[in-house]
Amino acid sequence: MRNARNYLFLWGRSLLTLLLFCFSIGLVSAQQITVTGNVTSATEGTIPGVNIVLQGTTTGVITDLEGSYSIVVPGPDAVLVYSFIGLVTQTVIVGNQTTIDLVLESDVSELDEVVVLGYGTQKKATVTGSVSAVKGEALKSIPANNVSNTLVGQVAGLMVVNRSGEPGADDSQIRIRGINTLNNSQALIVIDGIANRDGGLSRLNPNDIESITILKDASAAIYGAQSANGVIMITTKRGKAGAPEIGFSLNMGMNQPTRLPDMLNGPDYAQMLNELDEYRDRDERYTQDQVNKFGDGSDPFRYPETDWYAETLKDWSPQGNANLTLSGGSEAVKYFISAGGTYEDGYFKNSSVGYSQQNFRSNIDAQITKNIKLRFDLSGRHEDRKYTQMRGGTTFRFLQGMKPIEPAFWPKRSTDTERLPGPDFEGGSNPAVTSTDITGYNYDNNYIFQSNVGLDITELFTVEGLSFVGNIAIDESFREFKNWKKPWILYTWDKETMNENNEPDLVGSVKGIAAPELTQESRRSKSFTGNMRLNYTKNFGEHIVSVMAGIERQTQTGYYFSAYRNGFVSDQLEQLDFGANNTSKTNNGSLWESARLNYFGRVNYNYSNKYLAEFVFRYDGSQIFDPKYRWGFFPGVSLGWVVSEENFMSDVSWVNRLKLRGSYGTMGNDKIDPYQYLGTFEFGGNYIFNEDVDTKSLRPSSVANVGVSWEVAKNANIGIEGGLFDNKLSFEFDVFRNVRTDILYPANAAIPLTAGFSPPDQNIGEVKNQGFDLSLNYIHTINKDLYWSVGFNGGWAKNEIVFWDEPAGKLPWQVSTGKPMGGQLLYNALDVFIDQAAVDAYPHWPGARPGDIRFEDVDGDGEITVDDRVRTDKSNFPTFVGGIPIAFGFKNFELNILMQGAAGAEQYVQVPSGEFGNYLQDFADGRWTSENPNSNKPRAFNRTDEYWISGRNTHFMRSTDYLRMKNVKLSYTLPQSLVSKANMKYVQVFFSAMNVLTWDTYKVFDPENSSQNGGSYPQRRLFNLGVNITL
Amino acid sequence: MKNISRILLIVILAVVINSCNSDFLNTTPADSLSENAVWADPILVELFVNEMYRGIGHGHHECEVGSMTDESHFIHNYGTNQVVASLITPSDIGQWSAGNQNAYRWPRVYEYLRNANMFFENIDKVPFEDENLRKRLKGEVHFLTAYYYHNLVRTHGGVPIITKTFLLDDEFEVPRNSLKECVDYIVKNCDDAASMLPVKQEGAELGRANKSGALAIKSRILLWAASDLVHENWYGSYEQPDLVTIGGDRTSAWTAAKNAAKAVMDLNAFSLHKPTGDAFDDYTSLFISKSSPEHIFSRYFIKSNGWDSEDSNTHSPLFNGPNGYAAWAGNTPIQALVDDYEMTDGTRFDWDNPEQAAAPYENRDPRFYASILYDDAPWRQRPATLQANDPIGEISIRTVYAGNDVTSDRVYGLDTREGPQQTWNGGYTGYYLRKAIDITVDPEFVYDGANQEVPWTFFRLGEIYLNYAEACIELGEDNEAKIYLNMLRDRVGMPDITETGDALRQRYRQERRIEMAFEQSRYFDVRRWLIGPQTQDMNSTGIVINEFADGRVEYSVHEVGQVRGWDDKTNFLPILQDEMNRNTMLIQNPGY
Repeated sequence: MRNARNYLFLWGRSLLTLLLFCFSIGLVSAQQITVTGNVTSATEGTIPGVNIVLQGTTTGVITDLEGSYSIVVPGPDAVLVYSFIGLVTQTVIVGNQTTIDLVLESDVSELDEVVVLGYGTQKKATVTGSVSAVKGEALKSIPANNVSNTLVGQVAGLMVVNRSGEPGADDSQIRIRGINTLNNSQALIVIDGIANRDGGLSRLNPNDIESITILKDASAAIYGAQSANGVIMITTKRGKAGAPEIGFSLNMGMNQPTRLPDMLNGPDYAQMLNELDEYRDRDERYTQDQVNKFGDGSDPFRYPETDWYAETLKDWSPQGNANLTLSGGSEAVKYFISAGGTYEDGYFKNSSVGYSQQNFRSNIDAQITKNIKLRFDLSGRHEDRKYTQMRGGTTFRFLQGMKPIEPAFWPKRSTDTERLPGPDFEGGSNPAVTSTDITGYNYDNNYIFQSNVGLDITELFTVEGLSFVGNIAIDESFREFKNWKKPWILYTWDKETMNENNEPDLVGSVKGIAAPELTQESRRSKSFTGNMRLNYTKNFGEHIVSVMAGIERQTQTGYYFSAYRNGFVSDQLEQLDFGANNTSKTNNGSLWESARLNYFGRVNYNYSNKYLAEFVFRYDGSQIFDPKYRWGFFPGVSLGWVVSEENFMSDVSWVNRLKLRGSYGTMGNDKIDPYQYLGTFEFGGNYIFNEDVDTKSLRPSSVANVGVSWEVAKNANIGIEGGLFDNKLSFEFDVFRNVRTDILYPANAAIPLTAGFSPPDQNIGEVKNQGFDLSLNYIHTINKDLYWSVGFNGGWAKNEIVFWDEPAGKLPWQVSTGKPMGGQLLYNALDVFIDQAAVDAYPHWPGARPGDIRFEDVDGDGEITVDDRVRTDKSNFPTFVGGIPIAFGFKNFELNILMQGAAGAEQYVQVPSGEFGNYLQDFADGRWTSENPNSNKPRAFNRTDEYWISGRNTHFMRSTDYLRMKNVKLSYTLPQSLVSKANMKYVQVFFSAMNVLTWDTYKVFDPENSSQNGGSYPQRRLFNLGVNITL
Repeated sequence: MKNISRILLIVILAVVINSCNSDFLNTTPADSLSENAVWADPILVELFVNEMYRGIGHGHHECEVGSMTDESHFIHNYGTNQVVASLITPSDIGQWSAGNQNAYRWPRVYEYLRNANMFFENIDKVPFEDENLRKRLKGEVHFLTAYYYHNLVRTHGGVPIITKTFLLDDEFEVPRNSLKECVDYIVKNCDDAASMLPVKQEGAELGRANKSGALAIKSRILLWAASDLVHENWYGSYEQPDLVTIGGDRTSAWTAAKNAAKAVMDLNAFSLHKPTGDAFDDYTSLFISKSSPEHIFSRYFIKSNGWDSEDSNTHSPLFNGPNGYAAWAGNTPIQALVDDYEMTDGTRFDWDNPEQAAAPYENRDPRFYASILYDDAPWRQRPATLQANDPIGEISIRTVYAGNDVTSDRVYGLDTREGPQQTWNGGYTGYYLRKAIDITVDPEFVYDGANQEVPWTFFRLGEIYLNYAEACIELGEDNEAKIYLNMLRDRVGMPDITETGDALRQRYRQERRIEMAFEQSRYFDVRRWLIGPQTQDMNSTGIVINEFADGRVEYSVHEVGQVRGWDDKTNFLPILQDEMNRNTMLIQNPGY
């Protein structure tokens, strides 16, 4: 038995070895030692629940009630890390000891935790800005393949909304403290100290991420003209000295849409159409008998009934990822190397939609002399996106629209080998067919390579405290698109003609295009960043002063070209050469460039870790602006007072840490179109002369705005943070007020249309955004086998347009100035006219009838006109986003749950129903009919025919507030005794899930979707099994 | 290794020190040209003028101007319902704010007029080798200026005349010019253009502005300026009547209109299009052919024209075709227009005449058959899916009952909203547009590039004849008018008009409605003649046709669900409220 088990483990290990072949690394032979001991605290005696972890692994044990422990370590080189909240973490090299007893010192350990800031790091205890960090480990445990989808509910003030789950196109919208500007509100992304890297953060390998830091306030000012929307900094893992350590993780999951809308069945839909006829004074098109036939399946050719979702989507779609890491090294050279791959399938049957990725990273540190270190980082990935001609969002729009009384596929006739596809909606679109590769494909391959060479010199010129850091980063990416369209065949039946077998004579016809066509496009971009900085730190007794100054230049260029041909004689040769050589063929190409140069610096002052001050600045120059107005200065200042360090606090034992801090800074946002300072001409569309000669045209593209400059953010923040009750409870609370001025916006009120030009953007807009972030965390360790923790994090932000040159004279209820961004003008839907008397009794739209929506006559003029529309206060971006992380640990089991919610957003819901397409069940249930006149839901409607459909109104606006069980992970760590027998250090198996349950009142679509007609690919609900192994 | 780090240090220092020279920030755009480059190059100047042509529009946008009149019902609404119900307000002008109507839209027209001003400010410094080219381009821009203003003035009344290129730091507020000043300005530009341009453009220049076109604009605007709309008080009291009226002597106004039309005819460069002598064929091909002796100024299209609002002419078969041909219906003729096509003997069609009511599509003006698709009208081959139902290719509107009453089993027409294909794309009126739609184009594949190449003719001799006849009638020269009216009727084989006086005026107006249907004339004609209350104040109607087992075929007229109404204020569009707010010197049109 034991042999068999060993054999299995050996087999498994061999497999892993094979997988690791590319690293050419053999496994290190093991020589195990069991270490036992007892841990006490200087003040409180024995302590249960101390974490003892084998350094560089996640292998570990916890001390029992007597403070005793026992752990198996691989050999004398092993290093054990002893940690307990509120006590100093200690590391011990095992050597030849088998008993290690320790006394842990009180507190200050947390203060040593280091946070990555712009161009440097700092101890968390002395940070004076509003900075949040999340550990890569926390994100790694979430089974999403897209990093942007792991961030929601993790950090107070980081507002994340996921609009789409389409493989490869499922990036979340990330906003730091909501939306602060009328223009681009994306945060600056900095990866390993380099800003604006191609590909962003979404597709980074979560296993490579050491930490993510979010600069939420004026601490971002060090990034100057790009920092106004906040900064997200990702730091990747680096090697630590020690024996090579091999990690392997595997996730395999099954996903499905979080929510599909309930649509009407065949008979109910037919009934709705009959009602339309009644309202249009026409004969009802279906008899009751016919209506029933759509439901009873008695004549599936003449009276089909189709569940389009069931015909098009499969129940579950696979996804997964596998990852290998190798790290370790000597004091001289350390390495972190990883390779991984992910795969996600689309929801569709015969799916040709999918995303896969292969990625690698190699981060090397070489200590050349005592004070010179060289860094060499290289990473690359291939993002492989496969789509069908019809993208996911469109397919879902069609799915909800398809009529339940049309067949997706005809029933099989005696001569059919398979079910023939049914008719199209229009233009050949039968989503059960067009969601497959029958119509061709749409491939998108993106290759991203990033490199960074760095040099760190400490004690420069042998001056103690003086150091130098330099970096050169060269990134390059290539993107290839190939879009191959080909005709397909759908079958219709006139519901009369029978074939020779006396079966319906289905007629096939070519749909879409007459002959195949191909578009190919190639994009390439490259960027270069060079920076260097000097740091100097000096202690004068209790005073510590550190100064940093740096310079950076960045250039980026990109170009593309594309070509198209149609009229392919065969669909076998998918290359441009084989398309027709006619006038329809096209080729296009263009180029763009950007360049930045900037100087930045930071001064820190620290008095006895008690009084803290920081000043950061950046002097930024960008090619976007007129040379005369190209440079800007962005300072930020912050102060901190560590109250808990004061003598008068020494008696307050329940307060472990307490810090007050405040910041104020000026930052910029230059995410605008370049060259607005030039009056330029561009090639416009074509005009035909001489009957058929296509001739180019040239038009003024813009009026010069000579003074164009960046948006200016003036952000203020006050915060308090601390740890209470032996740091069991930690908290952080920030209040902020951001004022964005000089927002580039057209001078709408000043420039009448008779001027003949669209006003260029000018630095005139102003937006105010204020709110708070709050995070709380409570951890309670009951004994060595049992602990639990619960937390809360949330951010609330509400913006208001202060000025955007709205022409004067607007009706007071339609004015947008002073209101939040993103509001709409809607008629106020009061209720439904129950009968003709109700119609006659109130001002109404011409042609209103019973069952129609009653609009409020807001201006009281006795008519319903556009002047009665009222501006709404909400947008489709939430004002509050938060999370509740909950964890339980029992022996080797651990359960993590993240509850997550958002509030304050609303979404318009309107699908084109009627003769055009199916109705949402929600709209049909309880609707007004002559038999049900006291309903508060309007009658059956036909697409946009009714004034209360074409006139957008509050009846169709719904709150999207939701609470979801976002992430769940149940893990079991195999006992050390078992694992070590297999020469492994750590084995964890786990079940995890995403978007398990959702509670909301929105009901129809996923509450994070922003499409009013369901035209977006729903987010995933995912169930996943995984394993993490360390060798 | 130490050397490596030393080299690296030097590299980093070199890069960064090099950065202190910030020249690399001086990038230039790679996809656009500077203003100086344009005015130094005659070829680029010609391209700049080409752009101004792009804005002149055409008549086959997805939503046609005719659907804002008693010509057709646009089934997708797009703001036409507000217009035909006279619900427009300064904050909402419905379809008139849509891209399809760019050629009439205040913002777009002023954009092109700014280009014209920029052109005139710079043209004299362009180094042309061929002075004739400078002259020709100037003439073209005068023509285009006149064209843009004639659209804007006919829709809005007196508008600000802008003669300079505004820049960002200018004073922008300008008052409206009086209607008379506007008309004079248009006429002046026409005259200037006529003096610089050849009568016709040929070869590579075909499709560019010509002298005839300039005179045709003049004819159209002077006829408009002589009409009741700008001479009678339909608005009550209004603070500045000269924005919507011209005043002065009517006779001299009509004389000017007559002379302007005569000037075009006197060029002797055009003749009526009748290549075959067959009324139906000639009237059909007049709007399909790329060249015709009747065309004065046209815009051409090729299959690869795109979907944007300037180019979408090529999609007309898809926009307007029946759902039974996999098209979108779009602008569907309403019964009121159909009923206005005369019988072949020149009498009015009459539903109270049992013979005519039983066969309403027989013995009608040939222009009816060439302009409108009706039940049983022969049309092109059906898409494969419906060829079994209709191997011939005929429009199918009627409902065929198995029994003798409407409760019996039935089969709906292929081109109806109850038909077997794309019901939501069916029209409500029972008619589809045929005029200027190329029968050889299969609407099913228009979406994917199988487009039509039909030109849009802005001015044709037929209109000039009508303009001339109208001026003559108003001047009491009935016989002169009838010569030209009857030439048009003769072309389509319709009997001569013989009336005189007001009866002649009514026949003329009827004739213009039919001859110019769907050519963007009706909207302005009903306003010029102040006949909105009589013609536009009724809901849209269409036909329902039931065929019973015993052979009875019943035609009945039904409302189609489009509410219409008339308000005199809609003789002119309002100035947009936002524009009023931006420019305090503007005065709003009466009634808004």
